[in-house]
Amino acid sequence: MKREDRRFIGIVACIVCALTAALAIAGCSSGSGSSSTTTAASSASADTSSYTTVESGKLIVASDLAYPPLESVPDGGGDPVGFDVDLMNALAGKLGLTCEYLPAQKFDSIVPTIKQGGKADVGCSSFTITDERKEEIDFTDSYMDSNQGLVTKSDATATTVDALNVAGKQIAVQSGTTGEEWAQENLPNATVVPLDDAIQAMTGVQTGLYDACVADLPVMKYLCNNSYTDLKVSIEIPTGEQYGIVVSKDNPGLTAALNTALQELKDDGTIDSLEEKWFGSTM
Amino acid sequence: MRACGRALIVALTCTLLALGITFVAAPISAQAMTCDKATARPNEDGGSGVIGGETTRLTWEGTVESGEDVTKVTLTIPDDGTFDGSTTRVTVLDGLTRMSVEAETKTSGNTLEVDFSQAIPEGSLVRLEVTNMCFPVEGGDYAISGTYESQAGTSALPDSPSISVIANTPLQRAVTWLDGQSWVQAWNSNQFLGMFFKPQLLLTSFVSLFGGWLVCLVIVIVAYPIAILLGLAFAFMKMAKHKVVRAIAVTYINILRGTPLFLQIYIMFFGLPMVGVNIDNNVLGVIVMAVNSSAYLAEIFRAGIQSIPTGQYEAAASLGMNGAQTMVSIILPQTVRRVIPTVTSDFITSYKDTSLLSSVGVMELMMFSKNLTTVSGNITPYMAAAIYYLIVTLPLIKVVGIVERRMARSESGGGPRPKAKGSATPAADPSTPAMASVHCEATEDDGVHGVIGALTAPFRSASSVTPRHDEMGGVPDAL
Repeated sequence: MKREDRRFIGIVACIVCALTAALAIAGCSSGSGSSSTTTAASSASADTSSYTTVESGKLIVASDLAYPPLESVPDGGGDPVGFDVDLMNALAGKLGLTCEYLPAQKFDSIVPTIKQGGKADVGCSSFTITDERKEEIDFTDSYMDSNQGLVTKSDATATTVDALNVAGKQIAVQSGTTGEEWAQENLPNATVVPLDDAIQAMTGVQTGLYDACVADLPVMKYLCNNSYTDLKVSIEIPTGEQYGIVVSKDNPGLTAALNTALQELKDDGTIDSLEEKWFGSTM
Repeated sequence: MRACGRALIVALTCTLLALGITFVAAPISAQAMTCDKATARPNEDGGSGVIGGETTRLTWEGTVESGEDVTKVTLTIPDDGTFDGSTTRVTVLDGLTRMSVEAETKTSGNTLEVDFSQAIPEGSLVRLEVTNMCFPVEGGDYAISGTYESQAGTSALPDSPSISVIANTPLQRAVTWLDGQSWVQAWNSNQFLGMFFKPQLLLTSFVSLFGGWLVCLVIVIVAYPIAILLGLAFAFMKMAKHKVVRAIAVTYINILRGTPLFLQIYIMFFGLPMVGVNIDNNVLGVIVMAVNSSAYLAEIFRAGIQSIPTGQYEAAASLGMNGAQTMVSIILPQTVRRVIPTVTSDFITSYKDTSLLSSVGVMELMMFSKNLTTVSGNITPYMAAAIYYLIVTLPLIKVVGIVERRMARSESGGGPRPKAKGSATPAADPSTPAMASVHCEATEDDGVHGVIGALTAPFRSASSVTPRHDEMGGVPDAL
């Protein structure tokens, strides 16, 4: 009897907790902006309206950090490196903020995280600007063009769309990416296996678990040249997609400020030099 | 069937018409713009089909052939498909390089006009991504037709490869009905409720997650008996007299209990194919779950067996039983009773841990909900998955609670006892061996009854089994 009482009290306590949390979340969302810090726009966007950041003086970035050479954590840990990382640092510099990365996020959780707010200010993880994503969040102007690439083993026989679009073929993709969408649309007969990151997909192809993987071409090329030398880019898929930085719809000031800063970086040649640094040529 | 036939006729007519127009309007350049492909994004929740009457994204690609500059492209979908409310991303590519071309798009019903700011030179790939367009509700195979404009005037585009569209399903209709309800809109306008418990998504989630839930259940239900047998074997091995046998069991148990299941899954799923062993993902999932559980069960069983007082062994020996007999009819039945709560807890853990298999591509509950969340950008599919997990775990947790309470009562002398004949109490030591003798009698009477009685005792209410503690002095099975 006593134990039942205790359990009952426990249930009541749980319900109270859940309700409190729900109210807190609802309260936060309705009154968003009022409690967060407001940073006056710096030189880069002196004319546009002000914006808010989660932590005053900081630009917190969410990224999956497993997409070299755009963003990755170097062997042995440490601070993230890559094209996107240098870009975000340069942008934060223009805005007079300190760029800070969250620990690696699952790619498909970044857009919901930014939409919910409170954890990170921007998502920068080689996001292709798509109209579907635009319904959830805002994008800055594009900072780089990209395409898709399909990777197989170097000695694989099935390397064409026709050969891979067969029941029983397994295509590894990163969950939530445009590569996943391409595979679903263009290889409908094959099984598309969504994984957490591109490295996992490549490893799976290398071990023979999957027949191919599809992801952004610059990354696939880089990985095939550097880490996965027994794999090759079998199909270069022209999609002409463009990368943008993800910003919450509640923060249009930040989008505007980032766009201004992005234009400045394009004009002063910073972006070109970064492309030179990470891809060996301007894109 | 009839719809298919009609679609075929329509398609054929279109093709013939298109050919006719091509010959009439552009006699110089036979085919100056080709259609390379047309695909639609799957919009079936949890499935891979394209449903008519629901928004999807059409991707159309065409190449400008030699000797032509294209300034305008018009796409047409048959019947009551619509481009209304859609947005179009226009990409023009020279090889893999994106060209900066501005374009204006105009939609009206089933046609979409794309007006390029500059003429598209030959050899370029034109890629149109039309988001939020709808195919006809009836479903069927649809080809995208259309026209393009160049210096030579307007010409017809060749038909695209056809896109298979499924007719709208009852589920989709239910969702559309929910969309129209005012209470649903009010509910969803709260950011928390709309993000975690969106009714429309909850409904589609339940339907599309069902398959994943079955996979979870099948994996754990197949894996668990194997795990029990393996666990029992290793429990005995760990208690064996031979040093080597003991060492093997200790190594097995410690390594499996000392490493995370997640790591074991990675090792098995990525390691085995590397050495040329290719096992079906689901089967491999069962194996990993069974092996992992077996280590925990081995420890549970060993502890359970060793918790039976030595008196029980002595009593069995005094009745002339050998080791195996003692184990099977005296020790194990009592062990089983004692380990039921712990084993059930371990079963619950195993069931929940099947979610880890999603990381290596087993299409189970977590995988389905993750995909759905990715597509919808909403947390609701995870909540649906949580409900599916709870459907199984909550009753089991309740069972553990009941069994534990019954056992606590029986341990303290108030619990049920298997029926014994009146004069079963032996003379020598009236307190300790009493249980053994009771069991023994029962086994002699009819073995099956005794064992089952012992197994089910915790589930029966105390009143259905006559308490005999007055007579037997409430043997305390000290742990």
